[in-house]
Amino acid sequence: MFRIKQNPLLAKKLGFNRIVLLLVLIAMYCFFAIFAKNFVSYNRLLSAMNYAYFLGFLSLGVTFVIATGGIDFSIGPVMFCAAIMSGYLLTHYHWPLWLCLITSILIGAMYGTLNGYLVAYKSVPSFITSMAIMQMSKGVASVFTKAQSVSWPQLAQENGWYRNLIKTKVGNVYIPVGMIILVVVAIICAIILNKTKIGRYLLALGSNKEAVWLSGVNVKKWEMLAYIICGTLAGIAAIFFVAAYTTVQPGYGDQYNNEAIAGCVMGGTSMGGGLASISGTFIGVMIISILQEGVLAIGLNKNYQLVITGIIVIVAVYIDVISRKRKY
Amino acid sequence: MGDIILTMKGINKSFPGVRALNNVDFELYKGEVHALMGENGAGKSTLMKVLTGIYKKDSGTITYDGKVVEFANPREAQQAGIVIVHQELNMLGHLTVAQNIFIGREFMKGIKIDDDRMNVEAAKLFNRLNINIDPTEKMSNLTVGKQQMCEIAKAISHDAKIIVFDEPTAALTESEVNELFEIIRDLKKKDIGIVYITHRMDEIKLITDRVSVMRDGAYVGTLISKDSTKNDIISMMVGRVIYEEPKTESKVPKDAPVVLKVENLNAGKSVKDVSFELYKGEILGFSGLMGAGRTETAKAIIGADPKESGDIYINGKKVEIKSPEDAVKYGIGYLSEDRKRYGLMLQRNVAENSTIANLENFLNGIFIDTKKENKETEKYVESLAIKTPGIDQLIVNLSGGNQQKVILTKWLVRNCDILIFDEPTRGIDVGAKSDIYKLMNELVKAGKSIIMISSELPEILRMSDRIIVMCEGRKSGELRIEEASQEKIMHLATMGN
Repeated sequence: MFRIKQNPLLAKKLGFNRIVLLLVLIAMYCFFAIFAKNFVSYNRLLSAMNYAYFLGFLSLGVTFVIATGGIDFSIGPVMFCAAIMSGYLLTHYHWPLWLCLITSILIGAMYGTLNGYLVAYKSVPSFITSMAIMQMSKGVASVFTKAQSVSWPQLAQENGWYRNLIKTKVGNVYIPVGMIILVVVAIICAIILNKTKIGRYLLALGSNKEAVWLSGVNVKKWEMLAYIICGTLAGIAAIFFVAAYTTVQPGYGDQYNNEAIAGCVMGGTSMGGGLASISGTFIGVMIISILQEGVLAIGLNKNYQLVITGIIVIVAVYIDVISRKRKY
Repeated sequence: MGDIILTMKGINKSFPGVRALNNVDFELYKGEVHALMGENGAGKSTLMKVLTGIYKKDSGTITYDGKVVEFANPREAQQAGIVIVHQELNMLGHLTVAQNIFIGREFMKGIKIDDDRMNVEAAKLFNRLNINIDPTEKMSNLTVGKQQMCEIAKAISHDAKIIVFDEPTAALTESEVNELFEIIRDLKKKDIGIVYITHRMDEIKLITDRVSVMRDGAYVGTLISKDSTKNDIISMMVGRVIYEEPKTESKVPKDAPVVLKVENLNAGKSVKDVSFELYKGEILGFSGLMGAGRTETAKAIIGADPKESGDIYINGKKVEIKSPEDAVKYGIGYLSEDRKRYGLMLQRNVAENSTIANLENFLNGIFIDTKKENKETEKYVESLAIKTPGIDQLIVNLSGGNQQKVILTKWLVRNCDILIFDEPTRGIDVGAKSDIYKLMNELVKAGKSIIMISSELPEILRMSDRIIVMCEGRKSGELRIEEASQEKIMHLATMGN
């Protein structure tokens, strides 16, 4: 399955990395199971997954961008902007819920398109464009709501059914609908990345854009597409964020950029482009989510989670750098 | 001429797979201008890089000013008084002339940079060299020639005893060249030893005292400039034993149609008014020295570089090629001279690298038909004898020759009718080289047409049906293979001004 025999380097880079990551995830869960009170429970897990869903969509999206050798620092605030604007349309303008959900996805896609256009067609570094769009999306959300926070309806309220997207009670059991959706989207992403021309071109241009361009490929089109996918998934992430937490405040969202990128990089996607792993990103997101739940359960504040995430990212990137050095 | 200032003896230097310097000797007197000549890749620059500590030699001794030396880096060499004036100038355009000259060792007044004193010192330097440049002028406002003089002034300010000029006149106008020569004559009087790397034959008599020739990383011999002729030097430069049988006559039928016609192509500084035709089933060799504009011509044709003017006809029809995408659509494939930078997707495998230019052909909707892709790739792996454990091997793990074959496969999979091969055998071993020659011959037999850019004369003579020689952005001549010789090509390639 990991093609270790034919392909030692790939196996080392992605397969090995993912196995280690899975072990880290299990070890971390065991650690919290021992040291945190009442950690081993279905409800705890569901609560941890609240965090994993929106972060998962962000992280899957940014995997496509990083695969092309770019970066997107706008996804967190764009997610917030989408959640705030569509929520405002729902609560103040009384748009139908289904339309608001679609609007949220479209807002994400729009920012992704703008970002991708500037990067691919205008050759502005993605670092800069995404920073600019990060600021812009924060500002737009604030202006739109006059700097007020927006609360989406609760489950019992009118229009509250969207919260079932995270978990739905059937009889006495909660079905983790969010996990099902996330896994399905992750599988679709994996298929796109590994089995279709989209993924082939994205990884190819991440590996050597000039070479792909000289091969007669319209690299601009494909590069822009990566950002559109990323933005769209940020729009979807917005829905899962409000389904989990209902309230969103304008002007925030930055920290989720870093966690989404961290999940992606941990999973073995190379910051230099050309190598990406959806399953790696998935495991990376699970690690961050379990970590954040565990840190709270153990009685420490969120800051400890940031420290540990930082350390994991440094180690993961360091492994990435070392393995690349060996190659050239 | 004064005493010996520099002796390099038995210098050896190898890079993986290449013997760059093979037992090279070199000697320089005080107050001498010593030309270093040879084809591209003969080892001139490598020798100078060994001298100035950019490369570490494998063996041999360098005696400088009576002492055996070994510089660890260019800075040490500079401090000892050996300076290179590079072909590409390392100047910071937004700083003033004086600031550039004293960069990294600014005069200070407390913690403040003392610009006034730097201007005075720079003016003194220019006076010594009889150069008329205002030290307070911004560097970017100067012509290339003046910038080069600043570079020389900078060298002098280091108390240089040896100055190495690497093709100093390549970017200069005629009057600037004369000015430069005045300065060099002046430096001679100051007893400074000068190594002068050049491709221009006419400069040898004008400015140099002796000329040493290198070939294939080895020292060939030294001549006194005023007693030698251009022919002496050329025959020393190219006089290798030719293992490869040169082509004696063109294999292209007389009535072969023109598949590609380029008319009055102009692009940037390095492609001026280039016109030529390519016939069906022909290998058209492009010869010339480094920087003659051959790669630039190819890139302008395929739309990778913008062109200012000129028309391109394919099979008699005028076409607009604005990007490599257009070129590939019209059936032109370009194999770059720089494999790593413009050819390979290092992190991807052999199959992916082989099909990238024709992926549309391996699709099932948006899905990639892996079976078809693998089958096609395996076919070429076998027929080109590409040595790889499997087609899912990452290309970074293959040897240079096999990497090159995979990139060739890319264009074969695309089935291009016109192939531009830019230095197709650079940096690859002899076996892979002859495989690629064989492949090229098979391709033209099958009716494809090839433009082969090559800096290796034997390769040009062995493969081409017709040869175009370029010099300084212009087509300086065209030779049928029947009339071509190394000497003739070198004459055309070094026409100069």
